[in-house]
Amino acid sequence: MNFELSEDQHSIVDGVAKLLDAFDRQPPHTAGFAFYAPDVDAALAEAGFLDIAREEGFGPLDGALIVEAVARYPRTVEAAATILVAPALGIAPGIRPIALATRIDAAARYLPMAKLLLVLDADDVRLVEVPEGGVETIETLFAYPYGRLKDPAAAKVTRLGSEAATILARRWRLAIVAEAAGCMQAALDVVLDHVKTRVAFGKPLGAQQAVQHRLAMAAETVHSTKWLAFHAAYTDDETDCATACAFAQDRIPQFTYDLHQFSGAMGLTLEYPLHHWSYRLRALLGELGGSSAQARAAAQAAWA
Amino acid sequence: MTDIDDFRAKARAWLAANVSADKSPPAGPASRDYVLAWQQRLASGGWTGITWPEAYGGRGLSVTEQIVWCEEYALADGPTPLDASFVGMNHAGPTLIACGTEEQKAFHLPKILAGEVIWCQGFSEPGTGSDLASLRTRARVEGDELVIDGQKIWSSFADIADWQELLVRTGTGGKPHAGISWVICPMDAPGITVRPIATMAGPTKYCEVFYDNVRIPLANVVGGLNNGWATAMSTLSFERGTAALALQLRLVLQVEELVAACPVDRPVLRARLAKLRAEAAAMRAMAYRFAIEAATGVPGPEGSIIRLYFAELSQRVGAAAIELYGLAAPETLGDHGWAHDYLDSFSETIAGGTAEIQRNIIGERVLGLPRGPR
Repeated sequence: MNFELSEDQHSIVDGVAKLLDAFDRQPPHTAGFAFYAPDVDAALAEAGFLDIAREEGFGPLDGALIVEAVARYPRTVEAAATILVAPALGIAPGIRPIALATRIDAAARYLPMAKLLLVLDADDVRLVEVPEGGVETIETLFAYPYGRLKDPAAAKVTRLGSEAATILARRWRLAIVAEAAGCMQAALDVVLDHVKTRVAFGKPLGAQQAVQHRLAMAAETVHSTKWLAFHAAYTDDETDCATACAFAQDRIPQFTYDLHQFSGAMGLTLEYPLHHWSYRLRALLGELGGSSAQARAAAQAAWA
Repeated sequence: MTDIDDFRAKARAWLAANVSADKSPPAGPASRDYVLAWQQRLASGGWTGITWPEAYGGRGLSVTEQIVWCEEYALADGPTPLDASFVGMNHAGPTLIACGTEEQKAFHLPKILAGEVIWCQGFSEPGTGSDLASLRTRARVEGDELVIDGQKIWSSFADIADWQELLVRTGTGGKPHAGISWVICPMDAPGITVRPIATMAGPTKYCEVFYDNVRIPLANVVGGLNNGWATAMSTLSFERGTAALALQLRLVLQVEELVAACPVDRPVLRARLAKLRAEAAAMRAMAYRFAIEAATGVPGPEGSIIRLYFAELSQRVGAAAIELYGLAAPETLGDHGWAHDYLDSFSETIAGGTAEIQRNIIGERVLGLPRGPR
């Protein structure tokens, strides 16, 4: 096994980081709870990062590297479905953002600005062209913009078939775990800064052994999730993607608990940046049925 | 029908006739109106202050009756006990009963019971969370007044409160715990500024409170000048013990709701919910046992076990609910949906003594282990 990034992959990751650095990393608090970044989205698209997996010699692993890197940015960008799902389903470049759902009438991430909605059924995929003005925005607390089709019955639907359903389920799981890995890394970085500087009982919080132990476990979660995601992206295997997604979703509750716990009450406020990532992690926690559904899918694929 | 059966029937009938389907606004003046109206309704039915002694206007119910009331309250889905009435009913009131002067009791207790006033807490400060004894808000004695300067934070519902239980430093030198006083602070006193804080769970119930040359009568000190630490520990022990039984029982019922809602084709989640059901049942058993033991006096440190258990279980249940319903489902959206509850549950392991402080208390005061370095 070779875990070293190739020269091209280094260039991709460095390029994304450099692009993101050009934008404000501490955006002012906005009125709602959705922290969508259309300016960053446009810049990533313009630079070609969102079409990386379509390029010859590149694939889902390179895509997962970008999704992970973009997820570290404090505002949200629809990168994962565009990079990891669309090429695998033969969707033409540029038809994006893309929202994913398991019901056509459900609220879905990024639907307010999406061009396409992909609905995963038991053995089919419905490709829905999102009509202009046809989406009702849903207020949620989870950083991502959510919306719901105003008139699902009137939507123009193309059916993609059972093979597409297998592909969508696999790549959606990969998208979740790659995005979760980036959110976890950024969230841990925020809290490490905090516990090094916040003093209680006469010393930094991070000097307390109990704090160190649990943050060490959080670091273990970050690293294991990240490498599991990259491994799944490399193999692009159904079982690996389901396993990685199950693992990440299973770890999110304890991970977010520990990080918020050591941020104290301050960590519950919008003045402290942790929520930019912990909101998203909690949203990802329940997607596509959550860890129990992914674990079952992994088991079914493994013993098929 | 036994006496307790009769009591249960009366409680159930009253709750059925009086609990409204309308939920409380989460914060702000509308929540004040809602909470006071509910307290007044409870008072008119004789259901307020059920744990308070009859001598102070309470009903002095037996612990079995208290448990039955909490069971029925949770079943009826009554307004959350963690609303703006919580501090008055469960902290300030019991603390005044235990440590207040007769004048303080006579003035404040009837107003709390009648649902006329809201109390908030002023304990935590910026940089002074778990290390409460290091608080820096100062009060100097001038004649028969205290003059207060400083800042408090995480004071829930301070923006709609009439009174605050406030910890200030009135003495200097000696150990940090010495020189602290517990005082009754009127929230309309000149020099007080309240700033609500936006939180990730949505509502802005937490506030910062600033004190600039605030003058309050020396007669508002409770439990003696410079003796506030002992008074505050009495307050916190109420929070860690008997105050949240209805809330704990509500969580037990919520787990039952999740079990009932989980479809047969999700066996892994069903197994997880079955485990949560066992955990909830264990919490209920501990809470009953503790309530019965605590009925003979001030709650002991064992309350920290239940406080910790409930706080962490709340997060696990919230995460399971998000997994069951998905974030986009009607059950999870809105101020009273699972999404809000899950995010709000993260304050449970921080407010009223963090999970780490609870663990310290369990280690040192329940298990008798040597005090570790802080």
